[in-house]
Amino acid sequence: MFLQIELTHVIELFQLPFMQRALIGGILTGIMGGILGSFTILRQLSFFCDALGHSALLGISIGFLLGLNPSFVLLPFAVIFALVVSYLLEHTRLWTDALLNIIYSSSLAIAIIILSFVGQYKGGLNNLLFGDILAVQELDLGLSSLLLIVCMMFVGLTLRTQMLLTVDESLAIARGVSVSTHRQVFIVLLSLVVGISIKAIGVLLVSAFVVIPACAARLLSRTFTNYVLLSAGLGALSAVFGMVISAWFNLPSGPSIVATQLAIFLTAMVLSSRAK
Amino acid sequence: MKEIVLSVKGLTVYRETYVAVQDVSFSLESGTDTSIVGPNGGGKTTLVQAILGILPRHSGEIFILGQPLSRKGFLRPRLRQQIAYLPQNFLVDRRIPMTVDELVGLGWDRLGFQWPWANYRKRSHAVRDALARVHASHLRDQLIGGLSGGETKRMLLAYCLVYPRRLLILDEAPAGLDIRAESEFYQLLYELKQEQGWAILQISHDLDMVRQHCDRVLCLNRTLRCQGTPKVALSPDSLSALYGTEFVQYHHSH
Repeated sequence: MFLQIELTHVIELFQLPFMQRALIGGILTGIMGGILGSFTILRQLSFFCDALGHSALLGISIGFLLGLNPSFVLLPFAVIFALVVSYLLEHTRLWTDALLNIIYSSSLAIAIIILSFVGQYKGGLNNLLFGDILAVQELDLGLSSLLLIVCMMFVGLTLRTQMLLTVDESLAIARGVSVSTHRQVFIVLLSLVVGISIKAIGVLLVSAFVVIPACAARLLSRTFTNYVLLSAGLGALSAVFGMVISAWFNLPSGPSIVATQLAIFLTAMVLSSRAK
Repeated sequence: MKEIVLSVKGLTVYRETYVAVQDVSFSLESGTDTSIVGPNGGGKTTLVQAILGILPRHSGEIFILGQPLSRKGFLRPRLRQQIAYLPQNFLVDRRIPMTVDELVGLGWDRLGFQWPWANYRKRSHAVRDALARVHASHLRDQLIGGLSGGETKRMLLAYCLVYPRRLLILDEAPAGLDIRAESEFYQLLYELKQEQGWAILQISHDLDMVRQHCDRVLCLNRTLRCQGTPKVALSPDSLSALYGTEFVQYHHSH
């Protein structure tokens, strides 16, 4: 009886437009994160993704300072920031993790200082850090859908090239692949996905959408194609289950999705260890 | 008449600030096997990587099947497909979820904008044939991260063979193969050059193998010290000039 009442309550909640938008937004973000995440972890760009998420707060704060809509500032900021960081990583002799640490901690610090001057956002830091998926608008869904199509086309049409690049860059160059062009296109797509997901998930949790489903898929896959597809599927699945759990127990949505991703990852660990 | 597959003219390549390869010129004909020999750090891998466009060149020209390789390493895709490369160090990340079948299939046809399922049947047949040629059919469904060194070499050779080529570039390819696999490997190279007219360019430290299997030798120690048939290029005088007198005395006494 109790279960039936709760289930009815959850179904009623998902009939509300903002919950439907949140669910669709979560699924779109989950699929995008899963697709790009499958290459991100193999190319050891997880920390780059994390740094990008944290640094995006600087873009948002600049938007507030200039009196612009943060959503419009965030995407170009994320792309430019990612390309600059990518350039620095290629042209300095410093270790990648050390350089990323300098960049993300300093941009986070500058962002917090800027936000302290912006009166209207003094109380809204929580939403920036952990996101508010329930605030997803139709414009956000439109942008996410467009980006998902671009990601699917890019990865689908260049899958064999991406696979070879992931295995060995010298083999790819010998086949005439422009490594720097592919790297930059991938970085731009990744930064757009991170930028577009921040509103829903927040700067602290955004990298989880890219990393955790891909890691779970890695544990369960033997072939590369299955791995990419499974990663996208697990990203979407965790968004659905996370949203249902969030609605059922009245929990914050973004963290509920990430907690679901963790549960899926732990299950994958158990299943893969049994399969050995 | 044999066709010139590769032509290198006055090639100079820098590694950071020093000259690794200086003013090297040579050409390769179809149906021939040419070996590059020389001491460690003599520029052999640098030369090969510059020919492939992996390393930029400082000066000189490279022509592949008559078409120039641009300074930035661009070559028309149709010609790129004619080249296969087997690197010296292939350190695969063992965590990559990829089967031998998938990796060998990446060598098939051109890369570029196409859906992954395009020509799947043709590719699948080509992969099966290539693996059979290197006696590695049993590895087809194995993960690339679980292979031994010798098995990895066979897989890479299948990756090179999966599509018809004109130029095969090998960087110390037989290293890691056992005696039987090495013998089969040289037999395969012989078939490729004799029956299919492939031009083969390989880096080697095994001078006995070079004498036995190669048609021409390039002696490289930053510059080309000599080139010609194994009998000429590996004469005691040439080897002295390349490796030093002590090496030649040692080599002949063993």
